[in-house]
Amino acid sequence: MEQSARNGLIAVIPVALLLLSGFALPLIFIIFTGLMPPRSFGLLEDPTLANYRTILEEGYWRPIMWSLGFAIATTLVSLALAWPIAKALVIHAGRFASVISILIAVPVFIAESVRLFGAHLFLMPKGGILAGTVNALLGIDIGSILFSPLATLVGMIYIYLPFAIFPMTLGLSQVPPEQVEAAKDLGASGWQTVRNVELPIALPGILIGGLLVFVLALGATAEAAILGGQSVVVAVQSIEQRFNYAQDWPLGSALATVLCAITALVVFPLMRRLDIDRLFRR
Amino acid sequence: MIAARKPAPAGEPGSRDAAPILSLRGLTRIFGAKRAVDGITLDIAEGEFFTIVGPSGSGKSTLIRMLAGLDKPSSGEILLRAERINDMPANLRPTCMVFQSLALFNHMSVGENIEFALTMRRVDKTERRRRAHALMDLVRLPHEFYRKSVVTCSGGERQRIALARALASDPEILFFDEPLSAIDYQLRRILEMEMKDLHRVTGKTFIYITHSLEEAMVMSDRIAVMREGRIVQIGDPLTIYRQPGSRFVAEFMGEVNLLRLTRGDGSDWRLPDLGISLPRLLDNPAEGWIVLRPERLRLLEDGAHADVEFPGELLNDYVLGPRTHILLKSGSRTFVSELGGNSTPPSIGSQVRVGFNLSDAVVVTE
Amino acid sequence: MEPRSVIVGRIVWTVLIVGLLYLPIISIVLASLANTRFIRFPHRVWSIDAYREALGLGLTYDLQWTSLKVAICVAFLAVIFAIPGALAFARYSWPGRSVFQKSLLLPIFFPQSVLGLAALVTMSAVGISPSWQTAVFMHLVWVVPIATLIVSIRLYGFDVAQEEAAFDLGATRLQSFLAVTLPQMMPGIVSGALFAFLLSWANLPLSAYTSGADSTLPEWLYSRMSTNYAPMVPAVSVLSIIASVLVVMIFQLIRLWWRRHIEAGSD
Repeated sequence: MEQSARNGLIAVIPVALLLLSGFALPLIFIIFTGLMPPRSFGLLEDPTLANYRTILEEGYWRPIMWSLGFAIATTLVSLALAWPIAKALVIHAGRFASVISILIAVPVFIAESVRLFGAHLFLMPKGGILAGTVNALLGIDIGSILFSPLATLVGMIYIYLPFAIFPMTLGLSQVPPEQVEAAKDLGASGWQTVRNVELPIALPGILIGGLLVFVLALGATAEAAILGGQSVVVAVQSIEQRFNYAQDWPLGSALATVLCAITALVVFPLMRRLDIDRLFRR
Repeated sequence: MIAARKPAPAGEPGSRDAAPILSLRGLTRIFGAKRAVDGITLDIAEGEFFTIVGPSGSGKSTLIRMLAGLDKPSSGEILLRAERINDMPANLRPTCMVFQSLALFNHMSVGENIEFALTMRRVDKTERRRRAHALMDLVRLPHEFYRKSVVTCSGGERQRIALARALASDPEILFFDEPLSAIDYQLRRILEMEMKDLHRVTGKTFIYITHSLEEAMVMSDRIAVMREGRIVQIGDPLTIYRQPGSRFVAEFMGEVNLLRLTRGDGSDWRLPDLGISLPRLLDNPAEGWIVLRPERLRLLEDGAHADVEFPGELLNDYVLGPRTHILLKSGSRTFVSELGGNSTPPSIGSQVRVGFNLSDAVVVTE
Repeated sequence: MEPRSVIVGRIVWTVLIVGLLYLPIISIVLASLANTRFIRFPHRVWSIDAYREALGLGLTYDLQWTSLKVAICVAFLAVIFAIPGALAFARYSWPGRSVFQKSLLLPIFFPQSVLGLAALVTMSAVGISPSWQTAVFMHLVWVVPIATLIVSIRLYGFDVAQEEAAFDLGATRLQSFLAVTLPQMMPGIVSGALFAFLLSWANLPLSAYTSGADSTLPEWLYSRMSTNYAPMVPAVSVLSIIASVLVVMIFQLIRLWWRRHIEAGSD
């Protein structure tokens, strides 16, 4: 209806303006800055691809690779850990699910740095919570995984696991229990039922959860800083260093642009397939 | 033999002599390439219960929305007491609509729903409450429901609330968009009766659309059959039932047997489906089909005769409560016959004789 | 039916993981209960001196105050954007709608640090200096899509015929919206505001780049953790945790009260 189209176009203006000025605009700036000569300031110089060459030739691609690797690992592990939990929440929907959901959600609203700080304290060798308790109880000195890539990975999984759990739960809740029963009745084994009935229906939720974890982990820096120490430099840390210490905004922007490109590569194909109305209307 | 009857011209207002309250002239609504409503012209008399029946997609919903003011016609005119109201928006028209989903305001109480139109008109609180209570009496809702949240009400209660709400502003015409389609059989019967009573008591013009023939027959003064955007026949329920103007209307109005009627040799007529010739016909009908209701096709006991008789094999029987229908096969066609009274159907597979009288047959030409 | 071992195994797994989620939080509480310069657990001497110090520190309140200021503004503004946004997202059919729906999700599926940095670059190019107001703006970029989604969920279940009915009964288009549509969007709006508040309160990456001199609590913690540790750092953390949990509980109570007294049975 005409009226509807007009109303829609008017209604979208505030949010559209916000996103254009607060999201699109900064991105454009960053992309442009990435094309400026190294160590320059402002946007009035001649564009050049020098920064991208630097990334390839001088090893600045390493932090990006680390972040990519962490992101993939975090995503896969989180999804695997989340699956039984999501199933439990859907099957035992009700009091159990409500309580567990709240328990999982509350830490999300506690600042990331605070939680990672706690993890740091937990994992500290000698005087840390874990090491100290074990030492006091069993007299053993267990060392620590702190200040290693593993610690960083563990930190990421810890922080982003809830972001895998909730969308996956949503996806699984779309599976009608009768279909699972019908499959079993027709002779499918547990694994076959999962593969042929549950996964296809729950897939949008799973993909959204996986995508969310991936993107968030890609841009994560606190875990590497608080738990990984000097052992690994992730992409955003490298970018920050370019901005703060090296005063090389163009190189930092180029690195950031690469990160954006990776994100876009992963996000856009999924977006294309998503039918928002069908997802929400159930 | 009843002569072939052309469908009644759609402009006939019916047998009332008072000036029509609502007139449609060439009303059309086009969506892209589709003519959802195609040049409808008719008059509706004041105080009528006028129902428009038709299959899904026939355009009845589109039509009624235009009459209510919720959609604009592509061309044509809507006249309320001879005054053109095409451009009058729904909130200014002295009409009210009961929607298919009822569209009750879920966050409000029963009383607030009913009083809504009055609240919009800034009627004061005491007066609103008084009117609401009066309406609740009219639709048989207990006063205690006044503060009840509509979400907690049952299907039947919600129907009544919707009716009361529509009546609150004392509209001249009430529109109904298939409001009973989601109700189960028992409740529907009750509500149909109540709606008919309500019509009688309030004396307002009710314009109703439905795809259910039964509903239309039970409640209406006049019925218009709609197909693909056009009105194909208008008349009172019994006339439409007994004298359909076309195969479409005949089939839509209920179970029916259709027999092809063609000219034979000389002045004879033939029924090709039965291989029978009819030398004798009263008037001079055109070629077409004979419309025969199941109750007019009788099972013939030994010794009984009818104008046209033919044999058949009993395929199946259906007990429909007070009536029993039998399905029989003759030649390559199947026929439905209604058994009288308390008779038991013959066993399946047996050979029977059925027949009808020419005076019971209606001929349609399209 | 599934074998019992699978069902039990799943529940045990769930409880285990959820428990692990809380280990770091418990660790902080434990670490705060001492007053030594370095952490040595188990503590020789347990004390709550650190809390005394934390509570006496004006900085604690300043930091909480900045976080609070930003979070309240974000919550308020987010719903102001989310209401028309949700109408455009879920209610009206208009050309470009599906593009909008997908674009809205982009800021959510995006590394926040990069967004913060990009904002910093833009601000310096344009000549704006970062402050708590710019932090509010950048938080909104990320939070408004989420709030819009939350409100949209309510709208998807809304029977549009109600608006038509109101119009038919004599209301103007605006009255129909205010009397019928908006009240039914309210639960979503309240949830959206809550989410917006909490997400802003706990946010680090965006704040780090965009709040400039007005530091928020997570930023301060982050800087103190790496250098210049003192026991009152975990104490301050615990206080902020308590504040977060309190806020969540208060809002849950508000929602429950809202449901019981305002919605009277729906939902």
